[in-house]
Amino acid sequence: MAALGAWGTAVQRGRLWGAARALWGWRRPQRALGQDAGSAAEKKDAKPSFTDEAVQNLLYKMTGLDLQKVFRPVKQELKPPKYKLLTEAQLEEATKKAIKEAKEKLTMPPVLDEREPIDDVLAEDKILDGIETTKYIFTDLTYSIPHRERFIVVREPNGVLRKATWEERDRMIQIFFPKEGRRVIPQAVFKDEHLVTVFQQDRHEDILNMCIAQFEPDSADYIRIHHRTYDDIEKHAKYDLLRSTRHFGGMVWYLVNRKKTDGLLIDMIHRDLLDDATSLITLYHMLHPECQSAKEAEERKLQGVDLIKVFAKTESQKEGYIQLALQAYEEAMATTTGS
Amino acid sequence: MVQLGSRLLKGYRGGHVVIRFALGGCTNRPFFRIVAAHSRRARDGKYLEQLGCLDPLPNARGEKVAGLNLERLRHWLGCGAQLSRPAEKLLGLAGFLPLHPMTVTGAERLRRRRRAQEAAVPPVAGGLQQPGEKP
Repeated sequence: MAALGAWGTAVQRGRLWGAARALWGWRRPQRALGQDAGSAAEKKDAKPSFTDEAVQNLLYKMTGLDLQKVFRPVKQELKPPKYKLLTEAQLEEATKKAIKEAKEKLTMPPVLDEREPIDDVLAEDKILDGIETTKYIFTDLTYSIPHRERFIVVREPNGVLRKATWEERDRMIQIFFPKEGRRVIPQAVFKDEHLVTVFQQDRHEDILNMCIAQFEPDSADYIRIHHRTYDDIEKHAKYDLLRSTRHFGGMVWYLVNRKKTDGLLIDMIHRDLLDDATSLITLYHMLHPECQSAKEAEERKLQGVDLIKVFAKTESQKEGYIQLALQAYEEAMATTTGS
Repeated sequence: MVQLGSRLLKGYRGGHVVIRFALGGCTNRPFFRIVAAHSRRARDGKYLEQLGCLDPLPNARGEKVAGLNLERLRHWLGCGAQLSRPAEKLLGLAGFLPLHPMTVTGAERLRRRRRAQEAAVPPVAGGLQQPGEKP
């Protein structure tokens, strides 16, 4: 896949992975752990994954970089604001530093498949059946082993010694190795009936931040909450809530995979973000190369507005709205260039 | 001014390292720390290293939580530490050591006692009904 623009350098890729690893403690997804090792090669060629450089670049461009929103005041200790007197050069440097920090803040959280449930029996001692009334959970507290490889076993009252389930594992690891922002028992707000209230208050970004702090990226709850949030945003067209946050990439990935891109496309055209719109359609073509608009774009080498028009005609459900939005955009362009 | 008395700089004659439970917690709320200590020390006194913990009361999910630092445990066992019987039983339950023979014996004894109780109860119930039925 050809890298797009000035972003596709090895340094950039290194930075992305370095920053991602520092933030998440996440190594490159080990193919041996649960994923099919054999089909990994075919998967990469056949279908681009979330972590591909080209895909990441596209998603990054679409996320936007609104410094005002990224560095919007987070609830912290109240300190009086500091004012500095800077020359033009110093101001530019400060802005560059701010942009660099903003890019770190916008590192996208990983998008993974749901983890396979653990179902492994280590020993069966029928002699102990019915002797104890409660189960024992044993956690290995060795400091130097990564949490994924830690031994956590459960001795059931019926004498069976089995490996702990993912939920038990997460709870025990949080008890003995507490992580900041995470609770032993997840908060009630993560249940479906309470998520509705959160969405009504337009606090999608907050709930996603809380979800990232609380759950592991491949747990069922994490995926469920993210999908519900994205569905709600798509239903009410509240795409701007996540723009210029680190969740935007994940949302776009989800929508493009399920071919629900029309609302997002219209929103982008309304806000005069034509580059983002073309990136979105390019991503769509990367993920669904067999669709008609991808083939036409490939043949005729379309760019810009033409790409959007072909996409609107062939792939989208809301063709009329997209045409209207494009017309409005072109009229606005004509008036600005005319005046 | 701290008087470094003989309690801190105690030297013992003989004795060995044991891995055992030290009791802590409050009234009606026990909590065990699995600890490597000198055998001559007080049960809850100064220890060499804490190797884990055990909460004997079940939590809200009905589980008894225990943590074991297996790496350090292996180190102390390699240094020649002994284990107390409850510690051996716990490690047997955990699967780190084979199941303790007293666990098995205790289980068999309990089963035998329960069977004896069940066998004792029905004849008593049968005996009570008979005088009632016969007018």
